Amino acid sequence: MIGHKITVLSRTCVAFLGTVALVVLIVDPVCAGEVLNAVKARGRLHCGVSAEIPGFSERDPKGQWQGLNVDFCRAVAAAVLGDGDKVDFVPLKASNRFPALQARIIDLLVRNTSWTLTCEAVLKIQFPAVLFYDSQAFLVPAETDITRLAELNGATVCVEKGTTHLRNLKDYFRTHEMSVNPLMIDSASEFAAALLDGRCSACTADASQLAATGLQAPGTPLAFRILPERISKKPLSPAVWGGDQEWTTIVRWVLYALILAEEEGVTRDNVTTNVSPKPPGDWLALSGEQGKLAEAMGVRTDWAVRAVKAVGNYGEMYERNLGRGSPLKIERGPNRLWTEGGLMYAPPVE
Amino acid sequence: MTDLQIYLTLVTFAVVIGVIALDLIDMMVAGLLGVCILLVLGIIEADDLAAALRIAAGPLSLLFGGMVVARVLAKTGIFERVGKLYLRATAGSGKRFLLLLVLIVAPTCAVLPNATTVILLAPVIIRVAQELQLDFVKPMILTAIVSNSAGMLTLVGDPATFLVGSSIGMTFGQYLQKVSLGGLLAVLVIIPLLPALMPQIWHARSNVPAETVDAPIERPGFVVLGLLILGLMVVLFLIGEELPTRIVPPAVAIIAATLALLVIYAVRIEPLDNVMRDLDWKTLIFLGAIFVLVQAFSKTGLLQGMGLTLNRWFGSDFALVALVLLVGIGAMSCLLANIPVVAASLVMTKGFMVAAEAVPDVALAGGFTDWPAATLPVFIAMMFGATLGGNATLVGASANIVSVGICAKHGQQVSFSRFLRYGLPITVAQLVVSAIYVMGLTWLSR
Repeated sequence: MIGHKITVLSRTCVAFLGTVALVVLIVDPVCAGEVLNAVKARGRLHCGVSAEIPGFSERDPKGQWQGLNVDFCRAVAAAVLGDGDKVDFVPLKASNRFPALQARIIDLLVRNTSWTLTCEAVLKIQFPAVLFYDSQAFLVPAETDITRLAELNGATVCVEKGTTHLRNLKDYFRTHEMSVNPLMIDSASEFAAALLDGRCSACTADASQLAATGLQAPGTPLAFRILPERISKKPLSPAVWGGDQEWTTIVRWVLYALILAEEEGVTRDNVTTNVSPKPPGDWLALSGEQGKLAEAMGVRTDWAVRAVKAVGNYGEMYERNLGRGSPLKIERGPNRLWTEGGLMYAPPVE
Repeated sequence: MTDLQIYLTLVTFAVVIGVIALDLIDMMVAGLLGVCILLVLGIIEADDLAAALRIAAGPLSLLFGGMVVARVLAKTGIFERVGKLYLRATAGSGKRFLLLLVLIVAPTCAVLPNATTVILLAPVIIRVAQELQLDFVKPMILTAIVSNSAGMLTLVGDPATFLVGSSIGMTFGQYLQKVSLGGLLAVLVIIPLLPALMPQIWHARSNVPAETVDAPIERPGFVVLGLLILGLMVVLFLIGEELPTRIVPPAVAIIAATLALLVIYAVRIEPLDNVMRDLDWKTLIFLGAIFVLVQAFSKTGLLQGMGLTLNRWFGSDFALVALVLLVGIGAMSCLLANIPVVAASLVMTKGFMVAAEAVPDVALAGGFTDWPAATLPVFIAMMFGATLGGNATLVGASANIVSVGICAKHGQQVSFSRFLRYGLPITVAQLVVSAIYVMGLTWLSR
């Protein structure tokens, strides 16, 4: 009798332990393995973005995601799943982005991440291609007399936690034999408040982000100025976890397809009419003539057409979110096509 | 892996553990069935089997080598002689028998692999228990539990401990300073539990058989060779990794097994087939199956993804996270082999540290050693959870499986629930002591 009770007790303990273990494990399901297969099986793309960078990724008053990064996620979803709306956007702090990628919580990270050797070699992260060429700049209140970076010698400068901006800041001031007091700020969205309440004399971040900060400030965007100097290169790229070359290739060529589309005059409006001003070009090869290419990539034949149909070509995407069609009005600069003196260049299809 | 595959993996795993726990099917068959189901469902493929084999090769080599050496040494009569010494030292007291067992097993396991130690000491312990007319199953369970616990005494005492320590750049000396005392407490806490858990043995008094003259050794050359192999194995376990050509413990076990088989072949004491037949193949196959199942479990990425959840729930409260990991990893190690659990948990913990902004992004990569002092209790809690959690159940650690396999070879089947009856109370007590120790470390590191 006693033995029976002990056995029942033991089995109850086993059941309890098993339940605890399973509950703990089921709390936050994520995927591992072949990313493309997982995305297809799931029918949704998990895309890691920032929740708060105007022009890149933010929610409008209706809760709809918008921005350059958001559009790129939609282009990948359209290419892989045939529908640009099949994306789950996962807002991430800067410090959460790589752990989320490593843990396969997201399939793709498009969160203003700089392409660096350290990330590639040490963290084994792959950067398919540059989505936006940025550079680190400084924002100051418009009313101050500061016009050049040298005038910030000894000043307090706000920097967002978890980014490479702090190291760049220190390196620049050290090499120019100046001193600086970095003040860590949890999020770039606090920059405007930090400048206005005098916690720091300047803020440093990507120039595009600083332009957005001006928009977020209470009152007029003219409350702030960006100093002319740039202290580092910031090639912002989508990122994928290393080891899945097939997925890297797809993400890379979705971006190149958008660039090629712009190069060859293919737009959101004319892409389905299949009329290209310069046939037969690379775009024609991407747009369905080369079924074997799509087969090799593991995507549907019309993947490039669907990507452009979802978000437009690269130029359209840029102007709508960052350029003339946006409140930011950021000049394309190095983000122009190579044919126009910029750095945006897609390799040939064959 | 799709969400459906993740759920199928979890269900398969839960069913296999449940079937073993309820003694419905032989555990080796249950393990193999689980592997077959995952293979048929396409959840594990050739690459996964290869990955599981890479992880399992070390522990399985240690067990195979230990089994062969122990089997060959059994023919030398050495176990009988050591058993007699042990028996005399007990003076017929069950209490002394158990205390001496802890005293012998703990320091041995601090430097030698746990399961190998269990295999080598089992013939002696069983012999003494039988001489004292005591049930040998309980001492064998205690041997497994002490061997697992003593793995915490040094950095190299347990593979899971070593995995965590080496991944954060902890040296042997730092381990002695910060962790060994906790390991010692985990071993010592077992002793006051013994009168309650094993009262028949603790209070037993037996007459020690009158001292008899040892029979002369018939093949002294064979005995010398056998002891030389044992000595070589122990020495290589201790210094093998320091040699110009690094010899890791699994390789040491294979070398020792090969030499032992060579001796058996050369002296023609018995056919080699007899030695091979007597090995505990069921245990080896079951362990292999468990490693494949755990590989499928790791592939789900569930554990790795918990890092951000921990950060979301607990922010940067390292003390709280240390306690959660101690209990969580301890609970998981009850049912899963601790090496893969620790490997996946390391990814989770490093992800948590990066998300909590305690360290830069590069800490996610291997080789990062610049961990702030405040983060160490979290990693130490992982070590305690992984190493001590395995004491609770029959499948929690390879030493447990080996110990149960040896009992079965001697005619005593040990059920999952029988092991749990002793393992669970000890594990709970050890985890409580560990929690207090980790909290103390956290307080000191502030």
